[in-house]
Amino acid sequence: MFTTPRLVLIALCAALNVAVGSIVYLLKLPIYLDSVGIILCALLLASDRWAGFACASVAGTISCVIIFLLVNPFFIWFELTVIAIALVSVLLTARFADTLRARPLPNAKFAAIVLICGIVTGVVSAIVSAPVVAYLFGGVTGSGSAFVVAFFLKTGQQLLNATLLSGLTADPIDKVLQVLFAALLYRATPGDFIAMLAAREATSATSAAR
Amino acid sequence: MTPNGAALFVIVMLIGALAASGPLGFSLLYAVLVAFALVEVRAGTTTALTRSAVIVLPLAAFMAAVWIGFVGRSPAEIAAGASGTRAAAAAYVLTVCLRLFLIVAAIQLVLLRFVHLTPLQFICALRLPVTAKRLLALTLSLTETLRQAVDRARTALIAAGVITRRMSLRNLVHGWVLVQTVWLSAITIAVGRMRDKWPIEGTLGRLDDLFQRARTPSLAPGDAVWLSLGVGAALFGLGIG
Amino acid sequence: MVRTLISGPNFSGRSDALRGSLASGAKAFVIGPYAEAALSGLASTVADEIAVYRADGADDSASFAPLDLTIYTDRKPQTLSGGEQVLLALQCFSQSAYGRVGIDTALEQLDGDNRIQALDYLSRVERDIVLIDNRLATAPPGWTGLACQPEKPAFPCDLESLVAGVAPCAAPRIVISDLHFAYRPGADVFQGAALTLEPGRAFRLFGRNGAGKTTLLKILVGVLAPGRGEVLLGEQSYAPWRDGNATFALAMQNPDHQWCGATLGEDIERRRASLKTGQEKVSDARIAAAAGKLGVTSLDQHLYELPLAARKRLSWLWPFSGVMPWIMLDEPTIGQDRDMCRALAAALDRLCGLGYGVVFVTHDDDFARQVPHGIITIDNHRLSLD
Repeated sequence: MFTTPRLVLIALCAALNVAVGSIVYLLKLPIYLDSVGIILCALLLASDRWAGFACASVAGTISCVIIFLLVNPFFIWFELTVIAIALVSVLLTARFADTLRARPLPNAKFAAIVLICGIVTGVVSAIVSAPVVAYLFGGVTGSGSAFVVAFFLKTGQQLLNATLLSGLTADPIDKVLQVLFAALLYRATPGDFIAMLAAREATSATSAAR
Repeated sequence: MTPNGAALFVIVMLIGALAASGPLGFSLLYAVLVAFALVEVRAGTTTALTRSAVIVLPLAAFMAAVWIGFVGRSPAEIAAGASGTRAAAAAYVLTVCLRLFLIVAAIQLVLLRFVHLTPLQFICALRLPVTAKRLLALTLSLTETLRQAVDRARTALIAAGVITRRMSLRNLVHGWVLVQTVWLSAITIAVGRMRDKWPIEGTLGRLDDLFQRARTPSLAPGDAVWLSLGVGAALFGLGIG
Repeated sequence: MVRTLISGPNFSGRSDALRGSLASGAKAFVIGPYAEAALSGLASTVADEIAVYRADGADDSASFAPLDLTIYTDRKPQTLSGGEQVLLALQCFSQSAYGRVGIDTALEQLDGDNRIQALDYLSRVERDIVLIDNRLATAPPGWTGLACQPEKPAFPCDLESLVAGVAPCAAPRIVISDLHFAYRPGADVFQGAALTLEPGRAFRLFGRNGAGKTTLLKILVGVLAPGRGEVLLGEQSYAPWRDGNATFALAMQNPDHQWCGATLGEDIERRRASLKTGQEKVSDARIAAAAGKLGVTSLDQHLYELPLAARKRLSWLWPFSGVMPWIMLDEPTIGQDRDMCRALAAALDRLCGLGYGVVFVTHDDDFARQVPHGIITIDNHRLSLD
């Protein structure tokens, strides 16, 4: 399963998650894009779902750990969310890989796929994250969604509900953007790289280099 | 101390930070951390604590603004349906910040403890499967590749007028072009290596040889001391509640 | 020991021949032509890069060691310049157990002294060498020559015709006065630097690594803002860090860093959409025709699927389109055969004759000699012009 090109893909997608944070900071944009690598990994391995899930999960985990260690101490707690996003990406978003890569771009279909997959990914992400955010951090992490949580708390909602509602408000929007980014990167990726990923090496990754 | 022991120590402190809630529990954990800093890290302690403060203080200020300034009561009071007080909210924020600082400081102290090791030396010493070590080495290297590509591509795209130097609507609309350029340039480098360099050199095999040659003990006697202290403090904190 | 120089024009199969000669037999060290091709891709410090390749019991005194490791050891290899990466790779090779090395145009990234040292080392080391280098017209003494010829022309490039279609331009004079810039306090790059660049001329930007060449380019295209100082275009104040760049068309050393799209069509469309009011809105048809003269005829061409030499030539498209009055080229001749270098030199000279201004950075003295130019030197935080 973990051929050399797939190991490189995992590393690339993990590095992309980490590096994109610096791009967002340089461009002074009020968005996150911390899961683009996970979704992109699933798309690039659309031909092999289990490999796609495994690679996307590992890529997300690695970037989660790196960001946790160096930048944001809240990140490690969202490992389950990483797995959930990988699962949705493989089971749903990657199904439309061919359409997302079609030329010329089928605008309406592309928009619909991005919207639906983004919303579903966002909803799942919010549901999986809510208990973590609520019980570990009382609903407040370092992100701007904390104000949305606070608003719901002020209106009398209980903590878990407030966290969930906040997540359901913000996550779908954020994930639609992330699915859009991942889809655009997927469209642009050269075909020979995708072919390398689909190939199953005759020998394992460990012995191939000798 | 070995990198494996240090990694386990961070995990123990992380669990301990989550488990502790009262002053005594936190005191014990912080005492273990201070002892670790004084014995294992020494001169680097100031740097570690400064970096930890830089990471945690903005988060603390943000949480204080939300909980104390806006919500005005603690989660426990919300769950009980009580009107609550800002003092309780402040106590809650303090508890979360103590946890965060403990975790972040443990990580920073461990990183500084091994600052004399190169990244590959650190990875070599970890008790992990070879594939996992390869992945870590690849990820660290490619992260730097992407960072350099970001800087260079940003120069070119600003020169072309596609994005701007400062915050702008143009960046919101066209910023993804920078992401795409960085991604594609990194793929080109990776494909070139996989097609031309690695097969002819057997480069990944060289890395595996390096992992094999670095035969260090998984754990050292000193690790057991720190792990015991950390576990003890965490259990004590859990028991006290 | 067998030392082979593979010669021939671009797209004649030289790289395939190099790979073919190394693919069989024992493993061989490879230094390729593209960005970071000299690096293993497995290390994030120079010390680790050397550790990956170092053989047990390597004799440091016999190795090729151009880099002062006391300075470089903690540096990240990806942050090194192209030339430094090649030197690092040669150092790794010299300390390794590889009996063979293949070098695909990588030595062209080295400056004069380092290039001489590298060639000297390769000529005396007791290992097999396979080399592609556009700046070696003939095989050095003791080397075997292997000539490649293309079976059919690929990516035909006609710079003369391309430039013939460019309209004359009255590029503005550039006056830099009292320029101050520092990345952080105490790390001054420029202190009161001043320079005047007249249009209709070419200028070669000179300076050692870290002197400020890239910094100057970044200031002029608006990526960096000077701490103090003024830049005038003609009589007008010029502040691209605030207003955007409408003056300098830039071709990067690594062409992959400058594309604005995955396909040629996307790249052109985004550049045209970014043109400012008052700039000529060059038509699709004209740009497509220009791209055809650089060897790419389809706007749907995926840029990253082109060979590196073709991508490098295509990176000159926007600078040679006539949209911007000043042209900046960073190491334009790396990987280009001598005929293309001559054509490029003639094209730049012609553009100067049409009134454009040209600034280029290059280690290729042969190429520079073919372009009448002034020399801008960066030294001691100042700029001077010969």
